[in-house]
Amino acid sequence: MTIDPILELQHISKVYAGVPVLKDVSFACQRGQVHALVGENGAGKSTLMKIVAGAVQPNGGTITFKGETFSHLNTRLALDKGISIIYQELALIPHMTVAENIFLGREQRTSLGFTRQKLMMDEAAALLQRLGVQIDPRTPAGELTVARQQMVEIAKSLSRNADLIIMDEPSAILAGQELEQLFQIIETLTQAGVTIIYISHRLDEVFQIAKNVTVLKDGELVGTAPIEQLNRARLVEMMVGRSLDEVFPKSKHAIGDPVLVAENLSTQTLKQASFTLHAGEIVGVAGMVGSGRTELARAIFGADALQTGHITLKGVPFAPRGPQQAIENGVTLVPEDRKQQGLFTGLSIRHNITLPILKRLTRWGMVDRKAENDVIARAKSDLSINMASPELEAQFLSGGNQQKVVLAKWLQILPSVIILDEPTRGIDVGAKFEIYQLMRQLNEKGVAILMISSELVEVLGMSDRILVMQDGRIVGELAGEQVSEQAVITLATTHREGMSA
Amino acid sequence: MSAEMWPLPSTTIAVRRFIVQYGVYVSLGIVLVAGIFLTPNLYSSQTLEVIFKQGAQLGIVAIGQTLVLLVSGLDLSMTGVIFMTSVVIARVSNGNDQMLIPAFIVAYGLGGLVGLANGFLVTKRKVPPFVATLGVLILVQGAVQAYTLGVPGGFVPDGLGIVNQSFGFITIPLILWIILSVIFIGVLRLTPYGRRIYAVGSNPIAARLSGLSVNWLVTSAYVLCSLCAVTSGIILTGYVGYVDRFIASGFDLDSIAAAVIGGTSFAGGRGSLLGTIAGVLLIQVLSTMALLLGLDIQVQLIIKGLVILVAVALYSAARVE
Repeated sequence: MTIDPILELQHISKVYAGVPVLKDVSFACQRGQVHALVGENGAGKSTLMKIVAGAVQPNGGTITFKGETFSHLNTRLALDKGISIIYQELALIPHMTVAENIFLGREQRTSLGFTRQKLMMDEAAALLQRLGVQIDPRTPAGELTVARQQMVEIAKSLSRNADLIIMDEPSAILAGQELEQLFQIIETLTQAGVTIIYISHRLDEVFQIAKNVTVLKDGELVGTAPIEQLNRARLVEMMVGRSLDEVFPKSKHAIGDPVLVAENLSTQTLKQASFTLHAGEIVGVAGMVGSGRTELARAIFGADALQTGHITLKGVPFAPRGPQQAIENGVTLVPEDRKQQGLFTGLSIRHNITLPILKRLTRWGMVDRKAENDVIARAKSDLSINMASPELEAQFLSGGNQQKVVLAKWLQILPSVIILDEPTRGIDVGAKFEIYQLMRQLNEKGVAILMISSELVEVLGMSDRILVMQDGRIVGELAGEQVSEQAVITLATTHREGMSA
Repeated sequence: MSAEMWPLPSTTIAVRRFIVQYGVYVSLGIVLVAGIFLTPNLYSSQTLEVIFKQGAQLGIVAIGQTLVLLVSGLDLSMTGVIFMTSVVIARVSNGNDQMLIPAFIVAYGLGGLVGLANGFLVTKRKVPPFVATLGVLILVQGAVQAYTLGVPGGFVPDGLGIVNQSFGFITIPLILWIILSVIFIGVLRLTPYGRRIYAVGSNPIAARLSGLSVNWLVTSAYVLCSLCAVTSGIILTGYVGYVDRFIASGFDLDSIAAAVIGGTSFAGGRGSLLGTIAGVLLIQVLSTMALLLGLDIQVQLIIKGLVILVAVALYSAARVE
């Protein structure tokens, strides 16, 4: 296979604050091909690609690009050599025109120092035409859709004569036609000899466009293989390091009565969403970023005001005016952004866990230390939280243990509904597995779980039923035999007539 | 990626923790020992009385300021509240000891309203605490002056002179400071309210999602802070014996300095009252020593400024966010 490698990574390692995040990773990319990089969140994909783009300096190893070997790069040097990266958070300046964005920092100037607007416009137009997209280079970038902004980013890479373009999860923000168009552009680019490293969570598209795949897990290289030698199941196993049956514990008991019934919920983003949650089941919510998944959770939790619709909880009308009321009624939320919204990083583990049940632990106006110690001890063993002491600040825990602390907090009140938004983001595989087990244990106690996740593997593996969202609507519900990655993506991305009217 | 969440080597954590937790006490200890050699007069009964009396006036205000800092706030309106308190006492009692209690009630009532106003502006109107409390300060000062028409009328009752009585170096203000400190240390450490105050300051979003009444908690801190200012205002009025517009000038910034030196974070959610008490003592002892050494006021200010900067620099270096 190693006919003409454009990029070779050898023994790359990276340590953050004493903890290795990349361990001895080596692989090579062939010129003019699409090379997919897959792995779960936290596997080290982004860090590795930032090293290639010069945004992060490795602690060891070498990068060989077009025959030149470097111990590390910086962003300027990487760009000059022809390496370009397109991050998920697009880096265009919204009020500047497309052309200005493309030539940002390398404006063509006249001898008097004025920028040569006309020339830049023409060149930008030519670049965009080469990509086969119709965008007026005079448009302010902020007025373009995300998909079109992505095209501009690609044009920007091309204008710098990039030989290697790294794309960090473009399909997380692109859908349907837009994604197809991106694939066409990628095809055009590879035919012109440009190499693409494509990071993705979606295995189907990996099989569709990639020639080779590299899998990372917990900062280590699992392997690199030509796509024809793999199938879907094998690839998932490589990513998670276990067989699928092992990772995703199945429900072992019958699903109970309806707990929460939502009818015609509309908020600013949500459009007439109706669904039912039963005791002891996990309902997965899939959809693109911005499809209304998080808003669905917020509506049930009382964080966003309902415009229409109503909710009944255990047969009683339920209209929470805010998180406080939702929690009092047994509906809790584990938010997607653990450090910003879920955890009190500066507080001790003890203070984090018992916060919602302080009232119960209070005697003579003071927190009963003894009763509290019992709660902590039980939480520690039930969730196998790995901690030196409950007085330790939560920020010093690993991602997995932090998430367990957040979960432990809610288990104290044994809610009837738990909404989990991205429950395993940034968590290592071992802890992930434990959290899945825990979700099933909660099910056994009759807790209904609504799980929002952008990891399709997780949604497919854990859900008893899957709600698929698009444009603020629930566009489909899948269960049993109907469930497949293809079915979910089709529902999530197929444009429906009259929907966005 | 998520580099910050990885654990640090435990020795580094231990050293940093030590600085954050004990830095101010160690500094106070060093200064006190240095005092034995540099300014032995520091330990005379009279000097101690002054240190503790002035320390109490600032210390009581600093309790409130610490509470507000813990909920990521800041209170600049307290000097206005103190001025208002002295005017209320002089006007309502008009020199009559029997009228002291009604005067206190009016003063605490008005102080509470100021705290509510601060809390309302910060929580409901989302005004940054700096701007909100500065606005309230100016408003209160203006209102009081409009009421007095610039002539502080009325008299401070003689009975309030009790605050000047001393038993050795122990004075009424010192006793009050100790009592209030014990109460608030207990509240912050042992009660659910204290836990929630820390939680709100540490992460207001998570606090809301955890079902806490964030607005109410923040407002309560501002109200308690204003009530502390009223208490300090009563002591100061008795101490001075007449109404003075500049009775408490510098208290707002000094109380913030004391809390920050004591390890309370501007970002909220971190800090302890014990640290603030040590911070108050450190400021008082240092300025008294400077006075005993015959240093100029400018030099005293420079020393105070350096102490604050060193403390803040050490804490921010030591904290891992």
